[in-house]
Amino acid sequence: MKQFLALCVRDFFQGAVAFMFLLLAANARLPAADWLAFRGADGMGIAANEKMRTSWSETEGIAWRAKLPGKGVSSPIVVGPLVVVTASSGPQENRLHVIALNRNDGSTVWHRQFFATGRTLCHPTSAVAAGTPASDGKRIVALFSSCDLFAIDLGGGLLWQRSLAVERPKAGNDIGMASSPRIIDGTVVIQIESQGDSFASGIDVITGEDRWTVPRRKAANWTTPTAIVGSNGKAHVLLQDRAGVEVRSASSGALVWELLSQMQSIPSASVRGNVVYLPSENDGIVALTLSASDEKPQRTWASVKLSPGSASPLAWNEQIACVNRAGVLTIASSVDGTVGDQVRLAGQFWASPILVGKLIVAVNREGTTFLVSAGEKPEIIAKNILPGTFLGTPAIADGSLYLRSEDSLWKIAADPTAQAITSPFTRPLIAGSATP
Amino acid sequence: MILQIREISQTMHHNAVRLFVTLAIGCTCAASVVPRVAQGANASPPANLSEAVAISRTLSQAPATGGQAILAAKADSLAMASAEMLIPCLRSLSGATAPGANWLRSSLERIVERCGDTIPEKDLETFVRDTTQDPRARRLAFEWLHDRNPSLCNSLLDGMIEDPSLELRRDALNKFLATKEDTTDETLQKTIVRKGLMVARDRDQIDRCVTWLKEHGEQVDIAAVYGFVRAWDLSKTYDNKDGVGFSTIYPPETNNPATPLTEGWKRIHSTDDYGTIDLNREIETQKGVTAYAVASIEFPQAVTAEVRIGSPCAVQVWVNGIRVMSHEIYHASEAIDQYIASATFQPGTNSVVVKCCQNEQTEPWAADWKFQLRVCDSLGTPLGVQRLPDTP
Repeated sequence: MKQFLALCVRDFFQGAVAFMFLLLAANARLPAADWLAFRGADGMGIAANEKMRTSWSETEGIAWRAKLPGKGVSSPIVVGPLVVVTASSGPQENRLHVIALNRNDGSTVWHRQFFATGRTLCHPTSAVAAGTPASDGKRIVALFSSCDLFAIDLGGGLLWQRSLAVERPKAGNDIGMASSPRIIDGTVVIQIESQGDSFASGIDVITGEDRWTVPRRKAANWTTPTAIVGSNGKAHVLLQDRAGVEVRSASSGALVWELLSQMQSIPSASVRGNVVYLPSENDGIVALTLSASDEKPQRTWASVKLSPGSASPLAWNEQIACVNRAGVLTIASSVDGTVGDQVRLAGQFWASPILVGKLIVAVNREGTTFLVSAGEKPEIIAKNILPGTFLGTPAIADGSLYLRSEDSLWKIAADPTAQAITSPFTRPLIAGSATP
Repeated sequence: MILQIREISQTMHHNAVRLFVTLAIGCTCAASVVPRVAQGANASPPANLSEAVAISRTLSQAPATGGQAILAAKADSLAMASAEMLIPCLRSLSGATAPGANWLRSSLERIVERCGDTIPEKDLETFVRDTTQDPRARRLAFEWLHDRNPSLCNSLLDGMIEDPSLELRRDALNKFLATKEDTTDETLQKTIVRKGLMVARDRDQIDRCVTWLKEHGEQVDIAAVYGFVRAWDLSKTYDNKDGVGFSTIYPPETNNPATPLTEGWKRIHSTDDYGTIDLNREIETQKGVTAYAVASIEFPQAVTAEVRIGSPCAVQVWVNGIRVMSHEIYHASEAIDQYIASATFQPGTNSVVVKCCQNEQTEPWAADWKFQLRVCDSLGTPLGVQRLPDTP
């Protein structure tokens, strides 16, 4: 009998190993098929293995357009069969929306609405729906300017919520908060930074309970937490504000190192390998090389010729690109900061550029998407115009670009010559929720 | 042969049992380690109406933190309630906590999505018409009804231009104002827009009415429409270098109800459409200073009202000597009704004291040192009468 049971256990573990292998193999494809947060799952805006079409207009190359129930400057994310986007509506913008659309046809799968519980005043350029939601593939976390944080399962069921302005009544600013949540190793990291209550928290993505909270400088700040890998693969988070950067353990909030130096408060950092590229107030981009032992990093180079405006820098391979306030895209060596060629785009850029295959995709406020070759000598390959105001950073998944205007979400059809990467999981919608 | 068959049979039996046991081990392990992903799939619907209402009440009283897993399970259960349970549960929105309202709303919307056209229209209509119900709940019922019967909702709006739900009032007013296009009689049109202006509470609707009336030769006292307090006594300036003045208690704070019109005070009357008190103009353009403004407001009877202030500077407000708000925020936007606080006003004369602090920022956009204040009910209807100052 013992021998028989041993056989069963062995069978189970063999099966489990095979299953885990399949699961990992499927998961390995996740980043290619999903776009899980602001500037993608890792927050770097890179989709090097994707291929997209280069030409579209309001009447050509559009897979679908979905009218949204409110305004917003947040980016869409792509999670399994869903494209998720947030919006805010009403004369006081105190109605919050999280909308899940069918990725294939743009139809509404579910639509959750909430009452804002914090401040909803904001500059007309922005919106209460400013932060981009984030997902771990199982749940969606949405943070609004009103300091309302919601976690929703893929079927539209509310898992937990935090009324952070009820917990800390002075949180928020009337220009509008815009930092996006970042999920790092099971912790939702948020930066709620204003002249009132100012703090950063790590929240358990499953329970919604605080893992840690630290006070932050009392000043308005719109940057998004950046995930970095510490020694021995530890999950860390970089918090940037105008006074400098702090790196903390994502799970405990313990301070790993800090650097006091004037940084920007709108564009967020980028990471490539063991180098962090920080938008500085006075030095353009500052490159810091992380130490293998979590000690304070070394400043590798800085270049005032790289001056990101509101858009975050884009780093890939051995290059880095920034779009400045004048709409000029500059590419430099990410190794030593040597500036290469520039290309003059046009318009105002709030959306951060992303890399799709070998193209830099940069969307200006006026609705023109510039496709720029990502070589040492950048060239504008195409300019595609859509109507509307575009402040959200685009998302890319399965060769389809998702562009969010103030009132619509556009899916640009995939390149017909590209082989579609299907989502590895077909996630069933949860019982009790709407069906497409 | 028989032995071979028996052997094969035994082997098959052995393998089947082995497979069964293996699967059992797997299921046991899975049940213990798989996280709660598809929680809704395991939720059971409320057994009856009283259970559904009890769940909705629990959800509506959700605290700001803690108990999230229990609330999520209850929310999943309520989301599976039947259509006829919707309205009784919707009543729980009245008195809900801020997070509780959202827990409840999310579950009720899932019922509506799931039950589709089986939601009883008549119940929704009755609920919408009942102005004693929570305004937010009525608005939800209105929108659910609108998805099913837009023409009915359109007709319901006819009686709602003074509705306690600001959202219903807004839609009703849009419809009401559009009726001026049904006539070419300008006098009648002006009557419609004047009526609209009286009941409008959202700024864009007020502006629309004002613009139209002015374009048609009418005079409008915009500050009176909003109820801005225009007559103030202003103190001399006090130190606020490095922001020290915000928390420093200067004489006007210890003299409440303030008795101005002594040395150093100045009586002013704002002529601005939006009741703005420009301290740079009325006192002197200075940096790193604070000043006090005192107003008297008459109420016929005791009332709890909202004090609403807008200012790009740090402000504190006292009503009858009780501090009702304090915001140490400098130059991060400004708006009408930027900060709102509840206050109790007594029959007769009430004092309102504003402390407005200017910092030392040098940017051009940080030059403003001003505020605007009004007293109103929760809808924005002006309350109180101001005793105007003597003519200088």
